[in-house]
Amino acid sequence: MTSQTSAAERYIPGRARSETARKVLLYGVYLAVAAIFLTPFVWTLATSFKTLPDSLNFNLIPHPWTTAAWTDLWTNPSYHFPTYIKNSLFLAAVIVTCNLFLSALGGYAFARLRFPGRELLFLLVLGTLMVPDQLRLLPIFLMMVHWGLYGSFTSYILINLVSAVNLFFMRQYFLTIPRDFEEAAKLDGAGYFKIFWRVMLPLALPAMAALAILQFQGTWNDFFWPLILFGQGNQDHYTLQLGLAQLHSQFQQQWPSVSAGSIIAILPVLLIFLAFQRYFVSGAVSAGVKG
Amino acid sequence: MATTTATEAAPSRLRASMAGARLREAGWGYGFALVPLAVFGLFFVYPFGYALYISFYHWGIDGKTSPGTGTFNYAKVLHDPIFHTALRNIAEYTVAVVPLEMALGLSLALVINQKLRGRNFFRAGFYFPSIASSVAITTIVLFIFSQNGLFNHIFGLDKDWFGQASTVGWGIVGMNAWTTSGTVMIFYLASLQAIPDDVYEAAALDNTGSWRTFWKITFPLLKPAHFFCLVVFGIGALKLFDQPFLVAGGASGNPAYATMYPILYIYNAAFGVFDFGLAAAAGVIYFVIVFGLTIVQRLTVGRQEAA
Repeated sequence: MTSQTSAAERYIPGRARSETARKVLLYGVYLAVAAIFLTPFVWTLATSFKTLPDSLNFNLIPHPWTTAAWTDLWTNPSYHFPTYIKNSLFLAAVIVTCNLFLSALGGYAFARLRFPGRELLFLLVLGTLMVPDQLRLLPIFLMMVHWGLYGSFTSYILINLVSAVNLFFMRQYFLTIPRDFEEAAKLDGAGYFKIFWRVMLPLALPAMAALAILQFQGTWNDFFWPLILFGQGNQDHYTLQLGLAQLHSQFQQQWPSVSAGSIIAILPVLLIFLAFQRYFVSGAVSAGVKG
Repeated sequence: MATTTATEAAPSRLRASMAGARLREAGWGYGFALVPLAVFGLFFVYPFGYALYISFYHWGIDGKTSPGTGTFNYAKVLHDPIFHTALRNIAEYTVAVVPLEMALGLSLALVINQKLRGRNFFRAGFYFPSIASSVAITTIVLFIFSQNGLFNHIFGLDKDWFGQASTVGWGIVGMNAWTTSGTVMIFYLASLQAIPDDVYEAAALDNTGSWRTFWKITFPLLKPAHFFCLVVFGIGALKLFDQPFLVAGGASGNPAYATMYPILYIYNAAFGVFDFGLAAAAGVIYFVIVFGLTIVQRLTVGRQEAA
C-alpha cells in the first residue's frame, strides 16, 4: 500500500528502483481491473455501430461502420423508442419537481415549525421506510384499478410525489441552517411560506441539487413500479426501461439495436454522473442501496 | 425566574396574541406537512393494512370470492414447494453475493485510497456500474454471456450461462457483485480515509510489510464498516427482483425455478395466476422473515458495530 508505507521508504536508500517497478506493476493491475469493469459498456457501444451479421463477430472495431441500428431505433415504428424516451423524461421531470417542492416544504415543517404530534408524525414518516415494495405492490395495484387510474401516468406520479428518504434528507439539511436568517425575516413581518420560499429554499440549494440528481437517477432507472402500473401491454405508456426490456425479449438477436437501446438507457445518468460526481458519492450514503 | 414573572405580569392581551402566534405556527406546520403525510398514509400505511386484510380472503381478479376468512392462504404459501425454492434461492444468493461484493468493494477502495495518477478516473469507472439502470446492465450482461457471446469466445467455452439452471444463479450473483461493489467501495473509502496516518507510520517504522499491515491494522480497524456493509447490503440483497425477472423474461422462475426468488413469487402469484389472497399472504410472510432478520442483525451485528 503505497501511501501507507511511503513514510518508511523515504528513509531507505536504494529502494527507489524496485519502487518504480512495483508502481508499474500496480498500474497494470489497476488498468486491467478497470478494463474488466468497463469492457461490457465499450463492447455494447461498439456493437451498436455494427451491422447485424457483424454483431456476431468478435472484432471491437465495427466493420463496416454503420449507424443503421441507431436510426432504426428512431424510425422503426415497431420499436416506439422516441415515445419511451419522451415518457421517461416526462415522468422524471414531474417527479423530480414534486419531490423537490414537497420534501423541502415538509422537511422545513418538521425541522422548524412547532405543532402538536410533530415527533410522532415524523416517526411515522420514517416508519414508511420499513414497508417494503413487495407488500405494497398488490394494494396499490388494486387501489389504482379501483380509482380508474391503472395504466395512467397519474398513478405512477401519485405514488412517487414525495419520498420519506427525500423528506428526511431535506429536514436534516434545514436543521444545519442557523436560525438567525429566519429571525431576521420574521422581524420584517414575513409569513411562514414567505420565509420558506424566500429565505430557506435559496439556502438549501446544494441539498436540492443533490436531491434532484439522485431522484432523477432513481426515476429514470426504475423498472419495478412502471412494470406493475403500466407493464401489461400498454405500450404508449412504457418508460424507456420497460421499452428496453421489451425490445430485448422481442428482438433478442437484433444485438445492434438492443445495444443502442441499452446505451440510450444509460446515457443520461452517465452524463449527469460525469458532471456531478460528488453528489452521487455523497448521496450513496444517504440514498441506500440498489437491490 | 425573571422571565416567568414577566409573563405572569404581562397583560392578557399579549398572552392571547402569543397563543394565537403558536396556533398559527402549528397551522402552517400541518399545512406544509399535509401532502407528504397524505402520500405516506395513502401509499404506505393504508396498503400495509390492506395487504394484511386481503391475505385472509379468497381474493381473485373479481375481488373477494368467498365471505369466509381464514389463514388458508398462509397455509398454502408455507406448504408450497415453489415458495421453499424461492427462499432457498434467495438465501443462497445472499450468502454468496454479500461477501463477494464486500471483498470486491474493499479491494477497489484500497486502490482508490492510494495516491495514484488517474484516481478520479478509476473511482468513476468502478462506481459507474452501480448507478446504471438494472435493465441496461442485465441486457448487456446477457449479450456478453450469451452462448455465442464475447465471454465464451474469449475463454473458449460454450456455456449458456444464463439459460441453464445450474449456472444462472451464479450468473446473477456475479452480475450483482460487479454492479454493487462500486457502492460498497464508496462506504469503505469513507472509513479508510478516517484512519489516521500515524497508525500506518508506526507500522512503517516497525518495517511491517504492506500485506501484513493490511491484515493486522487496516482490516481490524475497518470493523465498523464491515458490520455496516453486512447489514445494509444483506438486507438489500433480499430485495432481488429486476435481474432474475429480466433474465427469465418474467416471474416464471425459468429455467426449472432457478430464477424464482421471493419477490418474483409474490409478483407471479398476483399477476401470473391472479391469486391476490395468495400474493398478499406471501408478501406478509416474506415481510415477517426480512423484518425478523433485520431485528436479529441489529441485535447481534449492531451491538458489535457500536462496541
